[in-house]
Amino acid sequence: MSGDMLLETSDLMLAYGGFHAVDGVDLCVRAGTIHSVIGPNGAGKTSLFHCLTGGRKPTSGRILFDGRDITAEPPQGRVGLGMARSFQVTSLFQNLSVFENLRLAAQGRDGDRSLVFWRSVTSGKAHREQAEQVMERLGLAARARHAAGDLSHGQQRVLEVGMALCAKPKLLLLDEPTSGMGIDDIPVMTGLIAELGRDHTIMLIEHNMGIVMSISDRVTVMSRGRILVEGTPEMVRADERVRSAYLGEAA
Amino acid sequence: MRDSMVFDRMTLAVAVILAALPVLLPSASLAGEILIFAMAALACNLLLGYGGLLSFGQGLFFGVGSYLSALAMIHGGAGLLSALLIAMAAGAAVATLVGAMSIRRTGIYFVMLTLAFSQMGYFLAYTLSDWTGGDNGLLDVPRPDLTLFGVTLVPLGNPYAFYTFIAVLFFIVFVGAKRLIGSPFGSTLVAIRENENRALAVGYDTRHFKLLAFTLSGMVTALAGALYGMLINFVPLSNIELSMSDNIVIMTIIGGTGSLLGPLLGAGAMVILGEVLSDIWPRWMLLLGVGLILIVMFLRGGLWGGVEALAARFGLQRAAKEERP
Repeated sequence: MSGDMLLETSDLMLAYGGFHAVDGVDLCVRAGTIHSVIGPNGAGKTSLFHCLTGGRKPTSGRILFDGRDITAEPPQGRVGLGMARSFQVTSLFQNLSVFENLRLAAQGRDGDRSLVFWRSVTSGKAHREQAEQVMERLGLAARARHAAGDLSHGQQRVLEVGMALCAKPKLLLLDEPTSGMGIDDIPVMTGLIAELGRDHTIMLIEHNMGIVMSISDRVTVMSRGRILVEGTPEMVRADERVRSAYLGEAA
Repeated sequence: MRDSMVFDRMTLAVAVILAALPVLLPSASLAGEILIFAMAALACNLLLGYGGLLSFGQGLFFGVGSYLSALAMIHGGAGLLSALLIAMAAGAAVATLVGAMSIRRTGIYFVMLTLAFSQMGYFLAYTLSDWTGGDNGLLDVPRPDLTLFGVTLVPLGNPYAFYTFIAVLFFIVFVGAKRLIGSPFGSTLVAIRENENRALAVGYDTRHFKLLAFTLSGMVTALAGALYGMLINFVPLSNIELSMSDNIVIMTIIGGTGSLLGPLLGAGAMVILGEVLSDIWPRWMLLLGVGLILIVMFLRGGLWGGVEALAARFGLQRAAKEERP
């Protein structure tokens, strides 16, 4: 394997009974890039994502992250290794403040060290500062004390990404970050991802190929559990096979 | 930060309540009983209010504390402090075991597992009647004086002296609980209650946090159970019955889940009502049922929630908000 690959899967397979949702995927994400995985409905994007985050154990194949085999690592263990994720369906601590959501996400990287019950959270200065920084960066500082559930949908999507960011990850895994966002909010999100891409490695799953073309360094197109095409956005856009895969979907 | 201070307004309020209780109530024993149940409800609230874990194992932990401290004193000649420490260790151990098995499931199955363990504990106590006295209860439970290395520090025969001892322990538990709620552990428990999936995704192995919550809750509940045996010089079988779990959970909900002062209010309301109403009308538990229904339907924050709402109306929001971490 080459040195600057942050994430590599080899012959990754996830089967539900006889159905192969992910069917022998070899994917490489180069450090420092924004890498998008796109594909029509049922292409296996979400199943692939579940394997990468640890939500599902692959039927066969291996996942290497930062040179380490993480195939059997549970989701919570992957955070400490430098992998953080966002959710397609917004999953926040709805009743807690925006600040507390981010602080908890920052604290999560410590894993079991957060079992200390005799020390005040105010002693975890690094977590508070990380939360403040991310809040500034996301433009949510003015809403710090508001409950996450009171934010607009667009802001909740931004917070969703921000929580992943709080773990100071080597790799950000974003699952359809624009899902459910209004047409006016989508540029805000793509702008944020492009900006985060300057100092993070990002892998994002997206259904709508139009959204990711402008910000991705590399695009992988999946279809029926396999990789159909991989290349630069220009190559993918020009590829006849991609067009026919999306055909009838009108995507 | 206000949160990190030990002697803030809420702690001061508790100290005042502890001092006033035996004066306001007809007997020091009644005041002691309130604090004992408030302690058990506080431990229940750690699981229910903060961790979102409805455990019906609380009566088991309470009973284990009662029986083991009593047996240690009767058969092992244990002193006051060692009997309490034995109870706490046993409560923590049993709760860890129950927790470890129960948290493998979530939702209703989790609740049923805690219930099953509780029932097992009850039948075990019932069966081992040579030790526990079975249906008759364990009689002649001593209340030793507070001694350290053979020197008697405080004799506890006087009800007011024993109340003071209970009050000091309650205060320590309260300050500890307050500290815990404001700790990384406490904040993570709340995160698990709010959204366990997300808590996992940001890196917490939530099972470890739930398990520690069980251990600590069991430890404090067993301490309360041990004190109860000493208070009434008797361990009735009902200490380990399912109804004990019920009562502890009900006090917690009536007082207000997710608050530190709620358990004191809930235990106070239930013990005092029981004392007053049971003289007038033996079926008073019926009224308790009505009260519980009203609170669950109209006062979701329990009695403490009501106090908070009143405080907010009279412009004392800050005092009320201090409660929330």
